[in-house]
Amino acid sequence: MHDTTGPMSSLPEPRIRFSGVSKRYGALWALRGVDCTFHKGEVVMLIGPNASGKTTLIKCLLGLVHPTEGRITIDDVVIDATRPAPPPGYRATIGYMPQISQFPASLRIGDLFDMMADVRGLTAAELDDGLITDLGLHKQLDKRLSTLSGGTRQKVSAVLACRTRPSVLVMDEPTAGLDPISSTRVLAEADRVRAAGGTVLVTSHLMEEVETLADRVAYLEDGTLRFMLPMHEILAITGTDRLAKALPVMLERERMNENVVA
Amino acid sequence: MLKVFKYTLLDLTRNRFVLGYALLMLAIAQGLFLLEDDPMKALLSLVQVVMALVPLIALVFTVVYMYDIQEFTQLLAVQPIARRAILGGQLLALAGALLLAQAVGLGIPLLVHAPTASALMLSISGSALVLVFAGLGALIALRQREKARGVGVALTIWLLFVLVYDALLLWGMFALSDYPIEPFIVPLAGLNPIDLARIMVMLEVDLAAMMGYSGAIYKNFFGSGPGMAVAALILLLWVAIPAWRSFVMFRKKDL
Repeated sequence: MHDTTGPMSSLPEPRIRFSGVSKRYGALWALRGVDCTFHKGEVVMLIGPNASGKTTLIKCLLGLVHPTEGRITIDDVVIDATRPAPPPGYRATIGYMPQISQFPASLRIGDLFDMMADVRGLTAAELDDGLITDLGLHKQLDKRLSTLSGGTRQKVSAVLACRTRPSVLVMDEPTAGLDPISSTRVLAEADRVRAAGGTVLVTSHLMEEVETLADRVAYLEDGTLRFMLPMHEILAITGTDRLAKALPVMLERERMNENVVA
Repeated sequence: MLKVFKYTLLDLTRNRFVLGYALLMLAIAQGLFLLEDDPMKALLSLVQVVMALVPLIALVFTVVYMYDIQEFTQLLAVQPIARRAILGGQLLALAGALLLAQAVGLGIPLLVHAPTASALMLSISGSALVLVFAGLGALIALRQREKARGVGVALTIWLLFVLVYDALLLWGMFALSDYPIEPFIVPLAGLNPIDLARIMVMLEVDLAAMMGYSGAIYKNFFGSGPGMAVAALILLLWVAIPAWRSFVMFRKKDL
């Protein structure tokens, strides 16, 4: 597949590797033989049309969905069809913000934060509460989770993903429903994880967001990884200055020549 | 598992439906005891209510709750805890909350109005029914992707056990009354957990002949002691097998 190393002079260190990962739901193949590597210290933006397999790819990494074929390695842990449920400890380093979140209706925001820290066995000193304050949630800790608006729900979900200081941060359309200021703040977490040498994987439909954040862009369509290239190379190859303009050109090129590897 | 149990139970104790169930049961039990002068008669009416209502509530509530917490289950599943710990905690909490509600709604009136061995047996078999149908509910929720379908399946199963099964058994008995089918009827009656629970109470109350066909046969066939043991054992299997199937399913399930 079209996996490339980054532009950095230092050699990127792989953290997560997908090898021939396929996932079938009944008759539908949600992923078809995806090969790719995610490195330490980078943000990869995962884009593609609806139902292209982005969420499935993420869920395979998290162990929510079990691959039909292929294998995923993260650090030393192997996930494949024969080992669908590796020891759960590997998820301790992962923070995940799902696309949709629903929380137990009768709990309060504060209860939920305490609970998730407790489930992970983390003490207050090990947690990072900066995001709680910055998103204004510290004033709403007594609010019942059933009464939250979509945006507040997203904020709570972002806090749950980032608060445990993950070294792998996975966010599925994190800014959907968030106001611009909160969006910027949540995406700053991606920068932080990258700066600390972590790996960040974000799906988005907003091209400006992808442009500002991405080290590399991966494009999925029909469960197939069409290309995965550094942001600046995509712009250089296509001779454009915006990703929105570059995308159709990239896809056309990729159709003509199966080996777009820069 | 203990942490999942603790927080799920916390959520459930604040759940309106669980509270409503406790109050409904309390109203029914209290009402029956106040309306009826003879506590024994009230107890018998209560047996009929418990045998129909408890399976329905346990089954439907478990199914609905499991669907409602689906996204939250997903959030738990991405934490560094094993799936069996998640489902184990949730099932224990569900069973705990329903049993707690039942202890308030059924246990207290029984203790006040009819503190007898029969009442104790009603509490025990009612609790067994909670466990059986909560386990079945979890299995249904894990097998069916859609909530509406899940609830439909739950209602069908409830109707089957509470009504259809006994009716078919009775019909078969009449149709085949020329043959010596009694030895086959006993194990068949034992396949229905509601019948089993009823039988356990009736063997204790010593009114088995009055209380339904399968009860009569059972009493006749086993006598009190062994009948009770067999019924309890099969009920235990009814608790264990759906719960075990749920764990197997949940381990491999795509969330």
